[in-house]
Amino acid sequence: MNVQPDLEFIRSLKEAGGDTLKKCYQCATCSVTCPLSKDGSPFPRKEMIWSQWGLKEKLLADPDVFLCHQCGDCTTNCPRGAKPGDVLGAIRAYAYTFYGWPAPLAKLASSAKGLPMLIGIPVVVIFIMWMISGAMHIPTSEQFADHGYQQFFGHWGFKWYAKNIFFIVLIMVPSLGLGLFSAYKGITKMWKTMAENEGVSTEYRPSAVQFVKEFLWPSLIEIVNHDRFKECTDNRDRVRGHQPLMLAFIGLFIVTCWSLLKNDVIGLIWPSWHGPMLLMDPFKILANVSAVALLFGIAVLWSNRKKAEKEQDTKATFYDWFLIWEITAVGVTGLGAELLRWAGAPTLGYIVYFLHLVSIMMLFLYLPYTKLAHLIYRTTAYSFEKYRESAFAKK
Amino acid sequence: MDKTYCSYICSGCGIGDALDMEALAEVVTDEMSMECKSHECLCGTEGRALIEKDIADGINTVVIGACSPRVMEAEFDFGDDKITVRANLREQVVWAEVKPEEGEEPHAEAAEYLQETASDYMRMACTRAQKTEPAEPYLLEVINKTIMVMGGGLAGLTAAKESAAAGYNVILVEKDSVLGGKANGWRKSFPTKAPWTDLEDNPIDALIAQVTASDKITVKTGTEVARIAGAPGDFGVSFKSTGTDTEWDAPAKVTTEDADLIAKGELEDPNTGLQPYVEVDPDAVKVGSVVLATGWNPADVSQYEHLGYGTLTNVVTNAEFEKLAKEGKVPANVAFVQSPGGKDNDNDFPYCNSVTSMVALKQAQYVVEDNEDGKAFILYQHMRTPGHMELFYKNAQLNDGIFMTKAAVMQVSENGDQLSVAAEDTLLGEDIVLDVDMVVLAAGMEPTTLNDYSINLAYRQGPEFSDLELFDGYADSHFICFPYETRRTGVYACGGVRKAETMEEAVDDATGAALKAIQCIESVDRGVSVHPRSGDATYPDFFMQRCTQCKRCTEECPFGALDDDEKGTPLPNPTRCRRCGTCMGACPERIIGFTDYNIDLIGSMIKSVEVPEDDDDRLRILVFVCENDAYPALDMAGMRRNGLNHMLRFIPVRCLGSVNMAWIRDALSAGMDGAMLLGCKYGDDYQCHFVKGSEIADKRMENIGDTLSTLGLEPERCATEQVAITDYDKIPQILNDFVEEIVEMGPNPFKGF
Repeated sequence: MNVQPDLEFIRSLKEAGGDTLKKCYQCATCSVTCPLSKDGSPFPRKEMIWSQWGLKEKLLADPDVFLCHQCGDCTTNCPRGAKPGDVLGAIRAYAYTFYGWPAPLAKLASSAKGLPMLIGIPVVVIFIMWMISGAMHIPTSEQFADHGYQQFFGHWGFKWYAKNIFFIVLIMVPSLGLGLFSAYKGITKMWKTMAENEGVSTEYRPSAVQFVKEFLWPSLIEIVNHDRFKECTDNRDRVRGHQPLMLAFIGLFIVTCWSLLKNDVIGLIWPSWHGPMLLMDPFKILANVSAVALLFGIAVLWSNRKKAEKEQDTKATFYDWFLIWEITAVGVTGLGAELLRWAGAPTLGYIVYFLHLVSIMMLFLYLPYTKLAHLIYRTTAYSFEKYRESAFAKK
Repeated sequence: MDKTYCSYICSGCGIGDALDMEALAEVVTDEMSMECKSHECLCGTEGRALIEKDIADGINTVVIGACSPRVMEAEFDFGDDKITVRANLREQVVWAEVKPEEGEEPHAEAAEYLQETASDYMRMACTRAQKTEPAEPYLLEVINKTIMVMGGGLAGLTAAKESAAAGYNVILVEKDSVLGGKANGWRKSFPTKAPWTDLEDNPIDALIAQVTASDKITVKTGTEVARIAGAPGDFGVSFKSTGTDTEWDAPAKVTTEDADLIAKGELEDPNTGLQPYVEVDPDAVKVGSVVLATGWNPADVSQYEHLGYGTLTNVVTNAEFEKLAKEGKVPANVAFVQSPGGKDNDNDFPYCNSVTSMVALKQAQYVVEDNEDGKAFILYQHMRTPGHMELFYKNAQLNDGIFMTKAAVMQVSENGDQLSVAAEDTLLGEDIVLDVDMVVLAAGMEPTTLNDYSINLAYRQGPEFSDLELFDGYADSHFICFPYETRRTGVYACGGVRKAETMEEAVDDATGAALKAIQCIESVDRGVSVHPRSGDATYPDFFMQRCTQCKRCTEECPFGALDDDEKGTPLPNPTRCRRCGTCMGACPERIIGFTDYNIDLIGSMIKSVEVPEDDDDRLRILVFVCENDAYPALDMAGMRRNGLNHMLRFIPVRCLGSVNMAWIRDALSAGMDGAMLLGCKYGDDYQCHFVKGSEIADKRMENIGDTLSTLGLEPERCATEQVAITDYDKIPQILNDFVEEIVEMGPNPFKGF
């Protein structure tokens, strides 16, 4: 291997929370203590020297970087204070930007300097849409009580498709689409890089069904159960925050799907299905429970991180905090809008709802570049890990 | 001195319980004709008062039968004008008695055995007291207290500065035209203070200014030492201009065989045109002692062909790179190769010690300092950063532009304008190739003594230090126990000539060597020995009328203390002598001795031991025990109550080298059944305090073995054993096994003749 250290890469890792990476002296205590490290391919010792030497390509093609759950066992036991856990986090942050498409947007989402733009884009887009919709007014209390936020973008006579839904779809579907498309591009690029690096044969490729059945589905089960998270000894508390948060997202995803089905499919046939859900509607209960779980989860993660910064001298990074703030924003504005609807405060309600739309759009749009990208990249790495052990990869 | 004797035996510490004190006193009074007093605690106030009162009444030679002479030294010190001899009844008799196994009855005659042993030690002690004369220190008529420092580099400058600060005049000799030596070429030096992370300015200029400003220091630049003649306190140094040849250059050593060949005209005299070594240079400058700080030379690394030194441009040594860095900017991509590498070679370059690791860490920082995107690769097999320098290493590690890995460097090759370095077995998990602008090889620091005499002594044993090849060209001294010392008394090495070391270490080293040089001068001034027999006022006396010019003493003296005249008669230099007595052990004519330690004295002690006849349970085995390590180990064995066979009799000796084979003959002809020498380890990792003593003794014992077999005695009756001071747990086994061997052989057939 011809080695060409990338000094720029080292500097960005240091800025992204891996400021201690140069301290490592390769004793491999980290690989020994890591509960997730596999015998055949131990980590993070090798990742530490690759990052010290600025070997970007090696790290970007390394699934182990994504298999790390940053539980911090290695960081606690590191005799040199090199914090391998934090370094791997920084590598992941770099990888999301690297695999991100389009690159300018990925770059924008990687630092606090981009924050005004990151918030500005959805604010402007939604505001313009609001203007275009012509519904730019605050409803009366009666209207607000009847329709809630369902006529935020106005109302038209075309009963088959609500104007509000049209606009929301107009905003959110391209956002999510861009996010998903970019994520797809990112993970295919990553998969290819990893496969090439492992020297995996491409001769026998699994069918889509085989892929889902043998690699993706078992990975998802593992992820939902938090099996690997629970292996961690040092930072066990994180499961208490992360699992409710993840389940909340699943719950809210289900509610959103149901809402879409109810309003846009069933509502077409029975117009009475339009309108806000009743409080005792099972889906509404799920939505509210999820919202509370989301806020609870994010609060746990928030305080964990604060504690780590205080006790373990973990570096506060934009990468970590942006996601925490964003999820908090989604939860607070979502629940806030609901509470304000019950309280019958249309002005404040509309403002909070507006912010809720902004935060949702941010979540979708920046999904593949922010820390939220671990959702797709780690899942991919899980699948890849199973794939490389499988008969497909071994000629 | 007219000696008036009195003997004292102590019944404390269990001695009185185990021995019949009255019978013991009778041995002294009846057999040795000496008054004998008992006391239950001789070392206490009352016991001492008893002895002191007798001394006040005229007693001047005291025999004390109590504990080991290694303890209670102050309590039994009655002044230099009194002779005190101690019998070790406690550690080596009472405490060393073989105890019966659990549940077994003690040997029927155990008490008698113990009494016999104690009696023998009292006999020996009394004999010793009778044969000992007070020491008369050897004093030079004129002593010169100037310290000559050879080498004006960092170590030499420091030694000069420190010696001057202690009030001594110094002559500082430097062969170059300027002071400063190698340090003149260094851009920065290692950290010397907390937080031990940052490079510091080179201290050499400030040091030169300090030395040149001192009125106690005479600086001679452009000067070399042609020869050093004489002895500590009275060295005569001939100077010459650098690079010139003079008749006073130190003559090479000519062995006896070579001398014969030269005389027959079959060999060219290597010393043609040179003054003989004994000749006195009338222009010689007198000095008292010498600090050798002649430094080091960068080792040649062109032998490692795969690294390309000498064939590829831009493959340089660390010293050359430092010079580049001092003169200007260094290249942006540099590989530092710390070990020759190649297959299965985990060694570093020779003579590198820990210095080259730290030099690489320093020079890597130049690369990053001088270039915005500078990259320095350190490929090492070992990263050695002792002490605080660990912090220096840690700090260098934090540098973004410094990349380190353990690696076996396989090949350096040309690659366009650049160089490619191929390395295997790296921490990166695979073989790597680095493209760099320059490759720096961590060449070691060869001491100047490796390639030339350096010290240029006009000594019979030659101009250079002995046994250089044993220590890769380093001057031999016991590195741990006696740092700075060399095999030439009055010459103390420091800096790069002593060890590959950093500037910080060299400063400590030079200070230590300066103190040793001062200590030597002051010891000579008082007529006493230097380490390891510091303060010993005796010195070897030669009865020259009976000398046969056999040259054994001049050859065997580990310290080259003896010169000789044309006929071969030894010319002693008592201030070079360390008082080990190796000459005494060597002399077949038995004409060398000390006032308190000589052939007759030990011989008489041997003869004073009672040797029963026709009693297989009462064989007598004599053990000569080296005072330095073996004797304390024996004491420790006693303190731990490790039983020693009752047939053993110990005689402490200054060094096994001082054991004259006459004593072995004395022992065997007195009817003793075996003899053993118990002393220090010899060989490459010797522990002998006099370097060669135990090795020489071992050779002599081999020869006496041959003599014994011609007499019909088993050569196995004589043995040598090497022990360390920590071997107190093994010594009883060694000794008791030897006793068993002798018992199997049976008694000495010459017993009673």
